[in-house]
Amino acid sequence: MNRRSFLRGASASVMASGMTPVFAQSLEKSLAPSDTVSVGVIGPGSRGQELMRKLLRTPGVGITAACDIYEPRFAEVDQLVGSAVPRYKDYRQLLERKDLDAIVVATPLYLHAEHVKAALNSGRAVYGEKSMGFTAEDSQSILQTVQQSGKIFQVGHQYRYAAWFQDAVSRARDLQIGRVTQVVAYWNRNNDWRRPVADPKDERLINWRLYKEYSGGLLTELGSHHIDLANWVFGEQPTDVMGTGSIAVYHDGREVDDNVQVVFGYSEGRRLTFTSMTSNSLVGEQIWIYGTNGSLQLTLQDATFYYEPRPVHPVSPQSEVMQHGVTTGASFRAGGEMPYRGKGTPLGSANGDDPTQLACQSFIECVREKKAPIADVHVGYRAAIAATYANRSIQSGCKETIPPAPAAG
Amino acid sequence: MGTIFSIYLYAPSEQAARTLAEAAFDEVDRVDELLSNYRPSSELSRINREAAQGPVVTDRETFSFLATSLDWSARTGGAFDITVGRLMKAWGFFRASGHVPSEAELAETGRQVGWQKVILNPQQRSVRFNVNGVELDPGGIGKGYVVDRMVDLLRAQHVSAALISAGGSTIYAIGAPPGERGWKVQVPNPEDKQRPISTVLLRDTSLSTSACSEKFFVLEGHRYCHIMDPHTLRPIENMVQTTAIHPSATASDALSSSLFVLGPEASERLLNDMPQASALLLSGHTHVEHCTSIRWNDSLDGDVCHHTAAKIPRKEAP
Repeated sequence: MNRRSFLRGASASVMASGMTPVFAQSLEKSLAPSDTVSVGVIGPGSRGQELMRKLLRTPGVGITAACDIYEPRFAEVDQLVGSAVPRYKDYRQLLERKDLDAIVVATPLYLHAEHVKAALNSGRAVYGEKSMGFTAEDSQSILQTVQQSGKIFQVGHQYRYAAWFQDAVSRARDLQIGRVTQVVAYWNRNNDWRRPVADPKDERLINWRLYKEYSGGLLTELGSHHIDLANWVFGEQPTDVMGTGSIAVYHDGREVDDNVQVVFGYSEGRRLTFTSMTSNSLVGEQIWIYGTNGSLQLTLQDATFYYEPRPVHPVSPQSEVMQHGVTTGASFRAGGEMPYRGKGTPLGSANGDDPTQLACQSFIECVREKKAPIADVHVGYRAAIAATYANRSIQSGCKETIPPAPAAG
Repeated sequence: MGTIFSIYLYAPSEQAARTLAEAAFDEVDRVDELLSNYRPSSELSRINREAAQGPVVTDRETFSFLATSLDWSARTGGAFDITVGRLMKAWGFFRASGHVPSEAELAETGRQVGWQKVILNPQQRSVRFNVNGVELDPGGIGKGYVVDRMVDLLRAQHVSAALISAGGSTIYAIGAPPGERGWKVQVPNPEDKQRPISTVLLRDTSLSTSACSEKFFVLEGHRYCHIMDPHTLRPIENMVQTTAIHPSATASDALSSSLFVLGPEASERLLNDMPQASALLLSGHTHVEHCTSIRWNDSLDGDVCHHTAAKIPRKEAP
């Protein structure tokens, strides 16, 4: 019996009995406040290293092990940590270590489910990068594994940790900008999204984001954050999606689109529109939440409110004054159809903290205090399943219905 | 980093060159997230916000950058100082037009400036300010640090010929263009942009220039330079331009800033102990009056200070 089948067996017996896994229990130790939280990293590429940097800024955290199949990563990890970090080419060997409290999974998307589930089944808390799962089955199986294992799982939807995002979404949900019916999100860049590859044989390993076998392209790598934000604002996951995309600029052998335009449907006719292009960066990354009385612009550093210009309704002498108001043949709004060009009102809660830093600190706090994370598996599932079906829609050219999360059990 | 970075590089194809350049620009963004004092989400901004309340644990790279900065302060007797953040604000050089602070403002600012007020703990990898109000400003060293990281990245990708420029004030040359001995770089003439002071060949080394010509304000006929003397808390008065060459862009950036504050004599003493460094200093009250070259033997123009005198018309005293 190899390691993976042993773990699968352990999980299956837990499902049947409802007990805590014996294997997991043996690895979980209680942490005193003075104890160092020992973290193993599966996939210390560019994003994985960014997470390591943030974790190392959190008091009492040690990076104790790293796993990758790309040899040069290990030297980068040692440089970042400042010591020789034990290195593994097989994640199962890393998970066999007895001294790890938490695992970071920052591997390519198509590997998330395999690595996250194995890490959870080893009894550790897991920080898994977004998008949570590549396929619908991946996301469903991660959800089930979290529920069955009872382990802490935090997904990399870090916007949920930033004060200005929290405050802005709270205001939107409190109807402070009226009824919110539209979220419009942009993530535009002007680069080819490629990483340099020293040896051509490593092209797919380094530039995995560009190939459909491993990646959901712009939707999973960028758009899943915006889907999560809209899910948060609307308090639900989308029910359907229509999308399109193309390769307009970078005809370099890539398979994923270099621009996408997607509309997600929510209940009561509410919509998220996500667009992303990689050939113009004027708009950058920004999210607009549109309500009937105002708008809210969110960026990675701040939030700004814009109130709708006060409507002006002229009354003609022939108007019939009704009990509840004025009836006119037409209405007039000062400013006409010209875009508003004045200043907005900055949201006071923007304190400038880096959302990923906050997310990593919060994860460590959850590990220490055995608390449930904010960006939990349900948050991850709702965004991931929507991104998966958006890509299906782009592929099929048809509107796709997004299945709800399976009931817990 | 409020500056424009540019890269010239040789690569096997245009696409490879574009990918390499974009990777290097991504590195600028990454370091900006560490060190920008204009970006509230940067690690440096977090340290500025929190380090007066208690030790802030940071990552190894940020810690190392701060240690290097403080080391330059120690080597230069405080002429180089990244705690000048409040001082820059007091003089209106941070997101504002110039402003001459009152003596009371300066006295208050002085309590918040001083590299010894930054306490580093290598064991904890933490940073602490021992007084309230200290603000780190990486302006005198940050661009050089970014350039070094871009160089590391490009070298790791086997780039053998590239010229990287951070707004023209810090330049690094990797190798040389095919068939050349190095990259030709001109040191600007603060008084005549058409006639550079010196032209040097750079190869696997960096050149940084500090000058008042780009960032200053004039009030009642007096020109106030953005480079501050951390001891007097006032803008430097008798220096026009300093240029330093060093194999490390971080070092040349810090050096050009330091030499500007130190002046010619102290600069010569400092560079006595730095055999890898060379420098060219143009000093004077309102115009270039003196030229000092320290091991400046890379110039393609021969005796640089001799030529400098010819290139800069002498202002006759009234």
